[in-house]
Amino acid sequence: MSKAQVKIVYRQVIDESYSSGFEKAVFQASYEEFLLKSQAYNQEGKFKTFSKIKANDGRANSLHYKLSFSVGHFIAQLNNKIPVIRDNMGRKISFEIANFELIESHMEDISLHKVAINYETGLLQLIETMGEYLLLANGYLPKQGPIETFVLRMQPDLSIVSYQELNQPQIVLSAS
Amino acid sequence: MERKNFLKTFALMAATGPMIIDGCKKDAAAKSTTTTSTSTTSGSCIVTASETEGPYPYVGGEITNPLNRSDVTAGQTGVPLTLSFVVVDANNSCNVVTGARVDIWHCNKDGYYSGYANQNSGLGAKSYVGETWLRGYQLTDSTGVAKFSTIYPGWYSGRATHIHIEVFVNGVMKKTTQICFSESINNVVYASSLYSSHGVNPLTNEADGILGNSLTDLANETVSLTGSVAEGYSGSYTIGIQL
Repeated sequence: MSKAQVKIVYRQVIDESYSSGFEKAVFQASYEEFLLKSQAYNQEGKFKTFSKIKANDGRANSLHYKLSFSVGHFIAQLNNKIPVIRDNMGRKISFEIANFELIESHMEDISLHKVAINYETGLLQLIETMGEYLLLANGYLPKQGPIETFVLRMQPDLSIVSYQELNQPQIVLSAS
Repeated sequence: MERKNFLKTFALMAATGPMIIDGCKKDAAAKSTTTTSTSTTSGSCIVTASETEGPYPYVGGEITNPLNRSDVTAGQTGVPLTLSFVVVDANNSCNVVTGARVDIWHCNKDGYYSGYANQNSGLGAKSYVGETWLRGYQLTDSTGVAKFSTIYPGWYSGRATHIHIEVFVNGVMKKTTQICFSESINNVVYASSLYSSHGVNPLTNEADGILGNSLTDLANETVSLTGSVAEGYSGSYTIGIQL
């Protein structure tokens, strides 16, 4: 019996300490695109950081999605499997949507460039929690018979972003 | 490694899936420099020549950004539209500018952009995060031309029909602008089968808050097209920049 339907997000932060070819590609391509596309909101070049560009012109928030086009091709190589994290059997977790986020950058210093990719799963069934472990199943559960499950440990940068409790016990208030 | 062999190797990597990509950790593929050297002999072994690492290949093994493309359609249906942009330098006798990067993007026939989540366009909320259709860039050729094949854009509430353009020269943004088309052609296209479910754009070019704020600018930003719904449309637009 499932307790709730949930969606989970894993946030992969990528900065100059990148540790895989994928992270390096995302880091470099998004920085090159930042140098190009940020100019629309910083035409005189007065501001050096994304924070200051954004504070001066709120439209710079669109850089999150504008830069995402420079890395979409790399994300496609992941075949909808979240990198880095695994379940307790060492298997990758599937994601449905990957949202790119520009955390910070600097026009003249690539070492200050920092981005994140937020991988959001599809609908999962949260069957049980066991300490820091979640017992989960993909999609909808059959009414009868065994179900295929997996166990995932809660860890930094992992979060439940959508929660719908199932079979809520009816609360009966009685007057005395 | 020769480029040909490198591409073959990558094609194999791509075919075997993302596990290999993740397995390409720092220890295995350390950050190399971009310098090159020639093989030298030291004792009984040969010191392997260093080669530039080169750019990280994209999903199809190509080494240039897949958005560097002339055909930006990427599966979107609509009336074909061919646009040629000529970039000229107004500070240099209007001579053509070669090697300028021209970026374009526009909505699909139903008024949605790729890459955005939770868009409303009168045909319901849609999310197209992770998709890149109807976006791309080209470098102008020796005649200053960047040519794109796309589809006639649709429309969304509050804007006249338009296409976004950015021009970069040597990495410096030189122009951000938008172009539009005559309403008579808009209306013919929007009555055609692929567009008719969304109907005609009720907002005229003049009433548009961006394009219509100067009638002179609007006239200059309205691209003349030839063609038909059946044959598709084509047009040329000169982008004047100041270098």
